[in-house]
Amino acid sequence: MQAVLEVKDLHAGYAEREILKGVSFTLGPDDFFAVIGPSGAGKSTLIRCVNRLVEPKSGQVLFNGVDLLKLSYSEMRLQRRNIGMIFQEFNLIERLSVMDNVLTGRLGYTGTLRSILRMYTKDDIAQALRLLDRVGLSEHVDKRADRLSGGQRQRVGIARALIQNPKLLLVDEPTSSLDPKISREVMTLIREIAAEFHIPVLCNIHDVDLACDFCTRVIGLQDGIKKFEGTPAELDKAALQDIYAMEVL
Amino acid sequence: MNAATLALRVEDIEAGRKRTRRLRFLAYAVILIAVAWSIEVIVVRDTDWSRITLASLLDSAHRFTQLDTSVVPELWEPALETVVMATLATVLGLIMSIPVAWLGAANITPFGKASYAVGRFLMTMSRSVHEIVWGLIFVSAVGLGALAGVLAMAVRSIGFISKTIAEAIEDVDPKPLEAIRATGGTKFQILWFAILPQIIPVFVGNMIFEWDINIRRSTIMGLVGAGGLGLLLFRQMAMSNYGGIAVVILAVLVLIILGEIASHYARRAVI
Repeated sequence: MQAVLEVKDLHAGYAEREILKGVSFTLGPDDFFAVIGPSGAGKSTLIRCVNRLVEPKSGQVLFNGVDLLKLSYSEMRLQRRNIGMIFQEFNLIERLSVMDNVLTGRLGYTGTLRSILRMYTKDDIAQALRLLDRVGLSEHVDKRADRLSGGQRQRVGIARALIQNPKLLLVDEPTSSLDPKISREVMTLIREIAAEFHIPVLCNIHDVDLACDFCTRVIGLQDGIKKFEGTPAELDKAALQDIYAMEVL
Repeated sequence: MNAATLALRVEDIEAGRKRTRRLRFLAYAVILIAVAWSIEVIVVRDTDWSRITLASLLDSAHRFTQLDTSVVPELWEPALETVVMATLATVLGLIMSIPVAWLGAANITPFGKASYAVGRFLMTMSRSVHEIVWGLIFVSAVGLGALAGVLAMAVRSIGFISKTIAEAIEDVDPKPLEAIRATGGTKFQILWFAILPQIIPVFVGNMIFEWDINIRRSTIMGLVGAGGLGLLLFRQMAMSNYGGIAVVILAVLVLIILGEIASHYARRAVI
């Protein structure tokens, strides 16, 4: 089976501080990868190097065979349409309605003038409604995003990523701003949706239990180096100690 | 949701979006018409178009480009005076702005709506009177000279500085306030440790901005006999010495650019 995402020897950082020191991994079409590791290990940087929100220094990011790091700005923009992203703090436009927030996921496909006039196609609106219904928010379509609870806001974020028709989902600490119960609900939803729409997922998550419960494979980062890669079953106490470089209770 | 209800709701949402879109276009159209009408009344009908020819425009431009460098030696002292006046006025205005902002910030005003209204009234009064009019008032109060100009600009500065400070206070993040209150801090300590650090950037930025405005203001304070580059400017104007006027204006420009550079570093140092 052909890999969706192949990261090879990825380096990133500034002149004085290297954040990623040669990370490599391969993500298949049905994979749900968790990236775990202590704060400052480079999890967020790694995920942002894939869609080049952070510009890596060297290495390769092959997305369906295309090296994203070689693309021009406009070519990269077209590739970004195929990569959905879900954020820790949801990153919604607070003053827009739920519907308009989800529709921002179509901006990559909508011309500047049409988007300013908010003239999205009927298909887009139908799809937005379908997805909002799927994530359980069909009653909140016209509400402003800042009126929703944290869990609801993350659901809007998920719908916004899905309406891009992504071929890959980047998920950055989706549960850090949520309580444990809502966290599991959100993770369940992401897993169900990934299976339903056949989208592979690369997910940063600092909660090891959640990572093991929801993901098919775990990558352990420490100080910009990949310390571990394997199934949740293989992630034993010794491996965790290695990743976190400390006694695990 | 089944396909039929979905289709119905899509129709519904589409119709709603069309409605708001139409309203938005209507609003744009009204604004456009108002602007066009204003231009017609104020500019098109009110201008003596026959007076404006390419030759007359070029002639005016030409007169200003004949720089009169003999004015330059006379520039230094009033330029320095202008900077000093603007600085003094800004500092004085700032000092007077603090209590006004305190009164006029809805979330910390001491006596509820009454003191809030007083604060807002003082802000509006400062802003609604032109600096030249303030200048006339102070010239009649303290006589001709730079002091009248400084006082006029200081009072005129209150409006902007206190309004932006008050609004910054109203927009502060309430979380640090909660934390200081939870430690048992007094009202003053809340103000000092939770509110002040949050508004410092706005405070400094706007003070520098007001200073730069005051440099410009002090150039026209000469009109009411309040010293600075303005006096020189009006002397050149009275003599119809366009080259001299241009030199003074350039001097003002240089001052403001220097102020802009100074403010860039000042902001970086503080924020």
